[in-house]
Amino acid sequence: MRHTTHLIRKLAASAALTLAANVQAHHSFAMFDFEKAVTVKGTVSEFQWSNPHVVLYLNADAANGVPAQQWALELTSPGNLTRGGWTRHAFKPGDKVEVELSPLRDGNAGGALRKATLVDTGKVWTSNLRASEKPGLE
Amino acid sequence: MPIRALTNLAAMLAAAVLASTTPLPAAAQTAGTNPPPAARDWADLAKLPDWSGVWTPNISDQNAQIKSNPLPWLPAVQTVISRLEAEEKAGRPKGLWVDCLPLGMPGWMIKSHNALELLFTPGRVTVLGEVDGNRLRRIYTDGRGHPDDPDPSFHGHSIGHWEGDTLVVDTIAVLPQTYLAFSEAVGVPNGGDLHVVERIRLASPELLHWTLEIHAPKVLSKPWTTTRIWFRQRARKYDIAEGVCLQGYRRSGRDSDGFPAFLTIPQTALGNPVPPAK
Repeated sequence: MRHTTHLIRKLAASAALTLAANVQAHHSFAMFDFEKAVTVKGTVSEFQWSNPHVVLYLNADAANGVPAQQWALELTSPGNLTRGGWTRHAFKPGDKVEVELSPLRDGNAGGALRKATLVDTGKVWTSNLRASEKPGLE
Repeated sequence: MPIRALTNLAAMLAAAVLASTTPLPAAAQTAGTNPPPAARDWADLAKLPDWSGVWTPNISDQNAQIKSNPLPWLPAVQTVISRLEAEEKAGRPKGLWVDCLPLGMPGWMIKSHNALELLFTPGRVTVLGEVDGNRLRRIYTDGRGHPDDPDPSFHGHSIGHWEGDTLVVDTIAVLPQTYLAFSEAVGVPNGGDLHVVERIRLASPELLHWTLEIHAPKVLSKPWTTTRIWFRQRARKYDIAEGVCLQGYRRSGRDSDGFPAFLTIPQTALGNPVPPAK
């Protein structure tokens, strides 16, 4: 990863594996480095609620040596996210957010979204596809 | 009694026994026609096991079987698989399905991370999926056989029958380009002559066991059998959503006349969207 060495912290291998499985969907997510967690703050420019991957576009502030840049952060599908309690209204352009992501291994400004917190409300969004691995869920 | 009459009687008795265990349209099967279902055909559906609801996959088990139940690839194919595995491990996954063509058979049943539902109507079971263009399979249970020369398709031609509470499905005529894969990045086209036999049953009231016996002689050294597990959900938030794969490769915008339109999003070779310039 290009600029973010000091932002990166190693996770326990088991936790990384769990998160990797949570977001896989139509394309493999092996291009993301789940051994790394990068935290960036910024402003939502677009929340694309469509298959096969929902995408949060984020204008990130420059901080800690990471330049201001736009990130494309991918999630699983709208159907799977809806089952996890998400809606297409989770984010709107202009929202201030802090996100934790697993970055693309090639250094481009893309990642798998692990966790997003709305700065104004403190609302936290996470995705856990494994939570559907039992019947009769509410 | 003449021999022909005895033969006909035996056939009628056999048909009666079959009809008692296997709902078939009341009207006689006539080649080339689909007879209208009678009231009895609809009533017979109630005798089938209850597979209603939405079914979500056991992804953990899918992943565990990569090691616990490996595919018996032909040696030359194993070389390709090993290379693809190494590429995926190195973070360069081949995007088997990033073109948004259907996973087809048997990829959908093996590797789906999304919900599906099963519908029973007279003479047919329909499997409806979600992502990937709301893929679907039509399984004919009206007693017909496979066509003599079916057009190859992504999901092939499927005929089924009930053995007690187990639906047995036979599928042929799958396009040779359709992947036999155990991840989104590791798999090869089946190469042709694919034949899949499925046995689907409730292993417990809320658990569907979906067993596939896959004959892929162009890429496997012997048939491979796997059981995929699905969990029943009844909460409405699990209802199947529309899933148009190509929509995700567009963003909402306006066309040159000012109408709402889908605009192309640049992608990397691996299928990731490229963020627009800030």
